Amino acid sequence: MKAKYKMKTLLAGVAALAVTAVPVTVLAQAPAYPTKPIRLVVAFPAGGSTDIIARLVAQRLGEKLGQQVIVDNRGGAGGTIGTEIAARAAPDGHTLTMGTTSTHVIAPAAYAKVNYDPVKDFEPITLVASTPYLLVLHPGVKANNLKEFIALAKSQPGKLNYASAGTGSTTQLAMEMLNRAAGIDMVHVPYGGNGPAGAATLGGQVQALFGSMPAVLPHAQAGRLRPIAVGTAQRSPALPNVPTVAESGFPGFEVSLWLGFFAPKGTPKPILTRLQKELTDIAGNAEMKAQFEKNGASAVTNTPAEMTALMKTELEKYGKVIKAAGIQLK
Amino acid sequence: MESDIISNLALGFSTAVSPINLFYCFIGVLVGTLIGVLPGIGPVAAVAMLLPLTFNLDAVGAIIMLSGIYYGTQYGGSTTAILVNLPGESASVVTCMDGYAMARIGRAGPALAIAAIGSFFAGTVGTILVALLGPPLAEIALKFGAPEYFSLMVMALIAAAVLAHGSMLKTICMIVLGLLVGIVGTDVNSGMSRFTFGASGLADGLSFVVIAMGLFGFAEILCNLQDKADTASRDILNQKITGLMPTVVDMKAAFGAICRGTAIGAFFGTLPGGGPTISAFSAYAVEKKLAKDPSRFGKGAIEGVAAPESANNAAVQCAFITTLTLGIPHGATMALLLGALTIQGIAPGPQVMTQRPDLFWGLIASMWIGNAMLVILNLPLVGLWIKLLKVPYRFLYPAIMVFMAIGVYSVNNLDLDIYMTIFFGILGYIFIKLKCEPAPLILAFVLGPLMEENLRRALLISRGDPTVFITRPISAAFLIATALLLAFMIVPSFRKKREEAVADSEAL
Repeated sequence: MKAKYKMKTLLAGVAALAVTAVPVTVLAQAPAYPTKPIRLVVAFPAGGSTDIIARLVAQRLGEKLGQQVIVDNRGGAGGTIGTEIAARAAPDGHTLTMGTTSTHVIAPAAYAKVNYDPVKDFEPITLVASTPYLLVLHPGVKANNLKEFIALAKSQPGKLNYASAGTGSTTQLAMEMLNRAAGIDMVHVPYGGNGPAGAATLGGQVQALFGSMPAVLPHAQAGRLRPIAVGTAQRSPALPNVPTVAESGFPGFEVSLWLGFFAPKGTPKPILTRLQKELTDIAGNAEMKAQFEKNGASAVTNTPAEMTALMKTELEKYGKVIKAAGIQLK
Repeated sequence: MESDIISNLALGFSTAVSPINLFYCFIGVLVGTLIGVLPGIGPVAAVAMLLPLTFNLDAVGAIIMLSGIYYGTQYGGSTTAILVNLPGESASVVTCMDGYAMARIGRAGPALAIAAIGSFFAGTVGTILVALLGPPLAEIALKFGAPEYFSLMVMALIAAAVLAHGSMLKTICMIVLGLLVGIVGTDVNSGMSRFTFGASGLADGLSFVVIAMGLFGFAEILCNLQDKADTASRDILNQKITGLMPTVVDMKAAFGAICRGTAIGAFFGTLPGGGPTISAFSAYAVEKKLAKDPSRFGKGAIEGVAAPESANNAAVQCAFITTLTLGIPHGATMALLLGALTIQGIAPGPQVMTQRPDLFWGLIASMWIGNAMLVILNLPLVGLWIKLLKVPYRFLYPAIMVFMAIGVYSVNNLDLDIYMTIFFGILGYIFIKLKCEPAPLILAFVLGPLMEENLRRALLISRGDPTVFITRPISAAFLIATALLLAFMIVPSFRKKREEAVADSEAL
């Protein structure tokens, strides 16, 4: 198995060399890259949704660069430990990190102190994927769509409960945004992750959950949870009959979890350009798109400038919700 | 229905016994056992490390191999618990108490063998339960909300007091200390840090491995080294080895314990959260209560190994119920297994059973095959492990310390964890000197955060109304059981005191 893998890597490396042979003359001064295996810091434990996407991309990226890309799981403290490690690493392109809405927007906005600046300490490369959030209800709740649900919540203020994957998680912020936009008052009940939050909603311990798509989609498809709206700007291909929150009366409402590649500040430009090209190729590959979709994510790419703009907009958007909801992590 | 089960199991076995899947199962169990005997590397670390190995396999092969690794490390963890007092994960803390005591009196062989036999029996029963009752049991598990979990944890903590061999006061102190140590980290509800002293490495709390390696392994080594007498007396084995296999008397004594342990494990194992640990502790407490001579416990009672090991393994099997039928992981290892399924492009959830019956039933069949392989693999290895005990202590302890450091570091790749292990090692040494037992501390450390989380969640949902704990029937049942348990514990000690008083006055 291993020999075969090496062979494949080798072949891919040769192919990559052949492809890059022409630009090499242009970049004659650029240092050879990569000269050793690349470390991809994932600030969440192995087996989680960020880790899965990271590993799928890492394998392809390794084949394209002709060096192994090793996933280094540095979980803990809402992703801030691993992200700080990546921010402090040598900016030579041999350390990259998979940044997400959590590590690069929410943590810096919600934590009293984070030892990195998501904009100043990193070179954004490109987004690779985005995971939608789905608003689901326990089937016992008497509401078939978002409008009915909001009417129900208004008729009994402070009575309904919603689950989240934890205090300060995107699942909480999405629901708090809805609470404010619709002028309703649901009580937040935090759980330790998307799995337990899904279980609590399945068991009817809480009435609603704005859950991550991969965690709640199977239950929605099995009819155990009632999907009433998606948080993305467009409807999800997995559930074409479920409207977006925006089209249900809240234009501009958009919550999703994006995942993208970052390098430490100061990483040489030619390396960043090379990585952006390879990663854009990988995310555009049909097979990779299909694999993402199986994991409830869709492939997305953009430019470094667009990533910086996205982070700035979201830092402001989520910052407001975090302040209004009185969330502060220490 | 019955014919369905039979045809389903037939499908499962036909998938699992294909030569390639048998091979994956064997490799998983073997690698799992070998890694599991390394101190400090428990199932979570082992599965996380070996997860990438399975990326190139097909889905069925990958999940069969990972499950094999899971059982293997679990069993390997018990091996080190018995041989060198190093629990690989929280459930083996209980095995340490009588298992290590048995090893010290030259009965490591029977202890290891009974652990393997008990685990196999429990695994078989667990597999049958998953096959027959998986989906309905999962529905019951969903009925468990925050109040039920809280009351269950209260019961388990009270049961922990039964574990004590010495002073009840010291046990209560250790439980309270364990609860306090469990508070370290980020509070789930408010997101505030507690007792982290600004160290980001403590934001997620102290890891079980750090505390177990410190209080058990490290403290034990410190204690052994302080004896200035001849080096030979430091060896773990201070008596002649008496037999490798359990005797008929042992088997008779262990049989009931295995059956009761299996039943307890199957019950708690189905509930997501704390399953194997609560099972092992409860099974031990039950045996101690039922025993004619409870004073044997802690000094090498074979029931004290058989019951928790069976309970642990039954719980591990039943943990697959909610993981597979609902896609709800049961803890970190199960979350990793679900992650592996997702990497294979299978969305875990209720539809797995209908969409991929080969995978679902193949895994169930391979559970049983994996358990059988564990016994076949481990009974002959008993002799080999025993030889390990004959290694002079001056060679054994540096090796154990190196592996402990590697194991502790590998969990989070944090050097802080190694310093914390040293700290808990010194604390553990002080505890040994004060004759305070670490097991109740560890149980409280594992259950405390779950208990707090569920207490606050229950009160949050009930809007602060505490009657929720007695108006929900399952929760009320646990609290009544707790009250009975307390009564059983307090009444005999009163009676004893009175008898002592009477005896004293007669003596006068």
